[in-house]
Amino acid sequence: MSIFRKTAIAGLLASVVFAGSAFAGEHLSLSGKRIGVAVVGTQHFWDREAFNGAVATVEALGGEVMAVDGGRDNQVHADNHDILLAAGVDAVISILGDGAVEPKFEALQDAGIPVFTVDHPSPFSVNNTTSDNYYMGTTIGRYMADAIGGEGKVAVFNAFEGALRICGIRAGLWKYVLADYPGIEIIQPELAEEFANAPEDARKQTLDLLSQYPEGTLDAIHVGCWDQPAIGIVQALEEAGRTDIVVTALDGGPETLEIMAEDGSPFVANVAQQPNLIGSTSAMNVARYFAGETLLPQTYVDVLPVNGQAEAKAVYAELGYGTLD
Amino acid sequence: MPMPASARPESGASGLSRIIDAAPLVIFLGMLIYIGFNAPNFMSFGTMQLVLNQSVPVVVVCLGLSIVVMAGGDDVVSGGIDLSIPATAVICAGIIAQLVTNTDTPLLLAIALALGAAMFIGIVAGLMVTRLGMTPLLTTLALFVAVVGVTKVVTSSRRINVDDPFIIFLRDGEILGISAGVVITLALVLVFYHFIHRTKWGLNLQAVGGSCEAAEISGLKPGHFLFWAFVIAAFTGFLASFFLLARGSGSSPGTENNLMLEMVLATFLGAAFSPRRVVTLWGAVLGAVLVAALSIGFKTMGVNVFWTGLIKGSLILVVLALAALSSRVKS
Repeated sequence: MSIFRKTAIAGLLASVVFAGSAFAGEHLSLSGKRIGVAVVGTQHFWDREAFNGAVATVEALGGEVMAVDGGRDNQVHADNHDILLAAGVDAVISILGDGAVEPKFEALQDAGIPVFTVDHPSPFSVNNTTSDNYYMGTTIGRYMADAIGGEGKVAVFNAFEGALRICGIRAGLWKYVLADYPGIEIIQPELAEEFANAPEDARKQTLDLLSQYPEGTLDAIHVGCWDQPAIGIVQALEEAGRTDIVVTALDGGPETLEIMAEDGSPFVANVAQQPNLIGSTSAMNVARYFAGETLLPQTYVDVLPVNGQAEAKAVYAELGYGTLD
Repeated sequence: MPMPASARPESGASGLSRIIDAAPLVIFLGMLIYIGFNAPNFMSFGTMQLVLNQSVPVVVVCLGLSIVVMAGGDDVVSGGIDLSIPATAVICAGIIAQLVTNTDTPLLLAIALALGAAMFIGIVAGLMVTRLGMTPLLTTLALFVAVVGVTKVVTSSRRINVDDPFIIFLRDGEILGISAGVVITLALVLVFYHFIHRTKWGLNLQAVGGSCEAAEISGLKPGHFLFWAFVIAAFTGFLASFFLLARGSGSSPGTENNLMLEMVLATFLGAAFSPRRVVTLWGAVLGAVLVAALSIGFKTMGVNVFWTGLIKGSLILVVLALAALSSRVKS
C-alpha cells in the first residue's frame, strides 16, 4: 500500500470521525431551517451522491430540504436558483454549475441568503466544499506519465478547463507535471466532450481519433476533469482492438473503478473522490455557519489515488461500493 | 316545455364534450391552485414574474413553431413542424458569444452574422420541404442535429461567458417595473399576432394550413407560405438566442434539447386549450407559461427531484388525452 493511500485513508477516517463528532459534540442543528439544494443533474453518480449526501445530512440535522435538479443542463441549473430565491429559503447548497450561476449567487447574497457551493469556488459563496483538486491534478499527471514510460503522444478530453475552476486546477496541474517530461506531447487541438451525453459522445470522438492516429502513434488518452467520458473511450479502444493505449481519468466513480478492475483493462489510473462525504460536509458547514462559527472559504475532502487494477479493487471496497473479484 | 326526443342524446353529448373541453384548463388551474396552497411563496408577485421570466425563450421559439404548424397543417408527421428552431437559437447564441467574447468583434457585427446563419437555416429548411417535398418532421430533426453539430464546432463545445451591457440589460433590466425580457417578449407576441391575424398575408397563411386544397382553388400557393413560415421560424430562433444568452449570462453547451422538448410540449399543449383544438399563437404562449409555472411549482413544493419528470409528463399526457377524447366525442 502506497504512502499516498495510507495518507488518504487516514484522512478519510479523520474526516468521518470529525463529521461524527461534529454531529454529537457540537450539537449542530438545522432545525426550523429550510435549505435549498440545487444540483446540476442527478444522472451521474458523482452529482447524485453529492446531492444525496447533502440532502441526508440536512434532514439528519433537522432541517427541511427544498431540492431542485438541473437535469444536466447548466442553464436550467442556474434558473433553479431563482426558484430558491423566490421561495425564500434560509440557505442554499449549490452543487457544480458553470458561469451561468454566478449572477444567481449574487442575487441570493443580496437577498441575505447565504450560498454554500460544492465544487464551484465563487466570490459569492460563504464556503466551497471540494476535493483536493491540486493533489488530483498532479497525481494523475505522475501516474499517466509513469504508465507510458515518460514519453509519447497523449490526447486529452478537456472541455471544461476554461469554464469550471475545478477543471482548470485539475487539467492545469496535470499539464504542469507533464511540462517536466519533454518526451510527452499533448495532441492539439484538445478534444471537447459533451456534458450531458459524455460516454457515447467520447466513444464516437475516440473512434475518429483512432482513425487519425494509426497503431503506434498514440500512447494515452486522458480525461481532464472527470470520468464519464472514459467509459466511452475504453469501449472505443476495445471495439478497435487498440487496448495498448493507456486511459486515465479523475473522479473514480464505481463504474470506472469496475472498468479498471477488469483484467487487461487499458484504464490504468484514476483518483477517487468521495462525493457523498463532500455533499454531507457542505451541509455540516451550513449548520456550523448558523451556529455562528467562522468558516474557511474552502473545505477540502480527501481523495484516494488509484493506480492499477489491484488498487481499483481495494478502493472500490473501501468506499463501500461492494467487492470486485 | 318537453324537449324533443331527438334533441336529448345530442344535448347529453354536448354536455359531455363541454365537460371534456373544459377539463384540460380545469386540471391545470386545479394543479396551480393546489401548488399555491402547498408551496411557500408560490402565489406571489415574485414567483409570477419568475414564471414569465423563465418561459421567455420557450415563448419566442413557440411563436415560430406555431406559425409553421399553421401554414403546414397540424398533422404531426405530414403537416408543418419545425424542430430545428431551438438549434437555430443555440447556434446564434454560440456565434454571438464566441465572436463578442473571444474575438472582440463588435456586438452588431456578431448579431448580423448570427442573423445570416439563422436565415440560411430557415431557407434550407423551407426549400427542402417545399421544393424537394421532404417530410418536415424528419428534415427539421436532421437539421437540428446538423446545426447543433456546427454549434459545437463554433464554440468548441465550451461554455462562453458574455457580459455585453445589452445582454445584461435583457437579464437584469426592467421596463416599467417589469423584467425587460418579459416586456420585449410580450411586444413580440403582439407583433406576431398582428402579423398572423390582422394582415392579409397572415390570414392567407392560415387558410393554406387549414385546407390546402381550398386555398389552392382560390389561387393561393401553399408552398410559398410554408417556405416563408420556415424562414420566420428561423428568425424566432435568432430572436430567442438573445434571451438564451441573457438567461445563461453566456452560451452553455447542451441547452437545445430541453428547449426543443419544452417548445413542442408548450405548442401542442396550447392546442389542447384552444376551443377548436388547433395550434394558435396565444395557445402556445399560454402553454409555455403553464409548463414553466408547473415546473417551478413542483420545485417550490419540494417534490422529490427523481419524480418531477414523471409527474410533469403524466399530467401533460392526461391533458392531451382529454383533448383527443374531446375531438372524438365531437365527431
